[in-house]
Amino acid sequence: MSTVGSSRQTGALYWPVQLRRNVGVRGLFAVVMAFVVAYGVLFPGLLTGSGFAKFTQSWFPLALVAMAQAILMLTGGISLAIGAMVSLGAVIAATIMTGPLGVAGGAAAVALTGLGIGAATGLIVVKLRLPAIVVTLAGSFIIGGAALLILPRPGGAIPEWLSDLLAGNTPAAFVLLVLIVLLWKLYLATPLGLSLYAAGENPVGAYRSGVPVDGARIAAYAISGLLCTGAGLFVAAQTGSGDPVIGTAFTLNSIAAAVLGGIGFLGGQGTMRGALAGSLLLSLMISVMFFLGFTPVAQYVAQGLIIIGAVAIPQFRKVQQ
Amino acid sequence: MTKLSFFASASALCIGLLLNLGAGSQANAAAKCIKGDRKAPYTIGWANIYSVPTWMKQTQGTIEAEVEALKKQGLVDKLVVTDAQGDANVQIQQIQSMIDSDVDAIILIAGSSTAPARVLADACAKGIAIINFDSLVDTDQVTAKVNTDSAQWGDQAAKFLIDAIGGKGKILILNGPAGVSVSDDRRKGADAALKAHPDVTVLAETNTPYNVAPAQEAVTSLLFANSEIDGILSLGGALSAGAVLALDKQGREQVPITGENARQFLELWKEKDLKSWATMQPNWLGAFAAYTAVQALEGKDVPAFVKIPLPVIDNSNIDQYLGRAADFPADGYIYSPYDEELFKKLLAEQ
Repeated sequence: MSTVGSSRQTGALYWPVQLRRNVGVRGLFAVVMAFVVAYGVLFPGLLTGSGFAKFTQSWFPLALVAMAQAILMLTGGISLAIGAMVSLGAVIAATIMTGPLGVAGGAAAVALTGLGIGAATGLIVVKLRLPAIVVTLAGSFIIGGAALLILPRPGGAIPEWLSDLLAGNTPAAFVLLVLIVLLWKLYLATPLGLSLYAAGENPVGAYRSGVPVDGARIAAYAISGLLCTGAGLFVAAQTGSGDPVIGTAFTLNSIAAAVLGGIGFLGGQGTMRGALAGSLLLSLMISVMFFLGFTPVAQYVAQGLIIIGAVAIPQFRKVQQ
Repeated sequence: MTKLSFFASASALCIGLLLNLGAGSQANAAAKCIKGDRKAPYTIGWANIYSVPTWMKQTQGTIEAEVEALKKQGLVDKLVVTDAQGDANVQIQQIQSMIDSDVDAIILIAGSSTAPARVLADACAKGIAIINFDSLVDTDQVTAKVNTDSAQWGDQAAKFLIDAIGGKGKILILNGPAGVSVSDDRRKGADAALKAHPDVTVLAETNTPYNVAPAQEAVTSLLFANSEIDGILSLGGALSAGAVLALDKQGREQVPITGENARQFLELWKEKDLKSWATMQPNWLGAFAAYTAVQALEGKDVPAFVKIPLPVIDNSNIDQYLGRAADFPADGYIYSPYDEELFKKLLAEQ
């Protein structure tokens, strides 16, 4: 534990600093709040236990992959294998959990696969100094192929009780998300976590200051992998089965959520709360547009306008200042 | 027919009474998922997986037309359309929104054969009529599934081709994309007939998307490699058009070929005077799904699976199809005519 970091965070500067970190994403927060209110008005059932539970369940996997992408982008990396990792996590869960290893064995296999593949990707990118975009693109073919080998056609099963626990009428997904965010805060207080932003923003400077740059980046890939396969496990529980291509769309959506949330491509820029808000907006849009009765074509246009708006508002104000 | 309609009206009259008694005889039981508490006019949700391909646009056209007809009868007041843009997760969220907004019926083409199962079970428990067509979900928690038989598609195509080349010769097989259930099932369906004719040699097989250009490219390279080809077993309409164009561009003689109701292929068939056979996945499966959903909501018993017989196009009726070509998009599918009488017959025949 770094004493410097914790004393700074508990000091009087903590809240002002946190507020200043929100500057770039205030517009996004406002848009998200507006959408939450609109959703509540259009669909009052959102305020009931099961309504809230179902909504957070559809957001949860996107929130996880947004975090998985954000943590990499903060270190200056990126992953195009997010979707394939989600698919792999889903098929592993759906094939192992009803077998002799049970739910615990399945969850362990999912977690180890995520951490292992993530760490291996990180090692290749960091130690061999290869571009992350190329390594993860190639990785996405290998991982996606592995998912198809494990389960060539959609199938497998998840124990009913686990599906009901994670994706039933209780807000278990929301509680999990809160726990994960708390863990993220804790991680940021560790030496590796503290190095994350430094490694992304100015790797050379950070290295010269004694920051474990390589370690921080490899750890970020491992954590990212874990978040992805975890999202896959959740999708399998939510759907009660495994589908080897279920994750495909998450790759692009994770990047969209992170960028919408103010995470820069060059590393060291942005906040996790921004990425989470970005993923929440993407998920909210689908439901709110439905309740507004937009036709699919109108939805495409509106989605594009909202995303540009959420990103442009803070820039617009900066220019005016 | 009279007996059936008697039963239908009897069940409609008796349904309240039966519910009160808490016991219903098998013959009068309402369809799966139906509780009888929903009253016309109904709201229908159409949960589309991907709206861009022409086949999907035409299918949506038949749904909209059917809904207009049902509106005139006072049975439907609204059609809600969603497009998941190919993402099965989004489709689940959209079906959840349909449940939240309390639609009376959901018709869907599934983006995954397993993923929507749980959300559909929720919808079924809420008394929403669910009709799943074309791409099906492995679940019994729906009111009805509607589809043609892909294995039969492959079997009939293989039998025609083997017959057309006199039971022996060298052929090419053109498949749709690998790992897609429709494409897999059509190919598997062709197996038995091919095995029964050892004199039919398969020179090569291709897997391409159901589009003209990639099929044409794949066949062109196979033509360079194989100087002698007696027939082409094409398991998709656009694939057949691609193959015919490839033969034509190479100056090769056309050979017997199977196909589908793609307008471009039917026009080439006529123009080149081909020896051909075609079937189809009729676009009106969509209209039929909407019709069936309303029938179920009205308390009619609906079979759990409605198998749609494959319409066949051959030299005897191709002119009837081409005569209507102008009503269909140039890259679209000329589907067989349909009306409410046909739908009634299909529901009664099962």
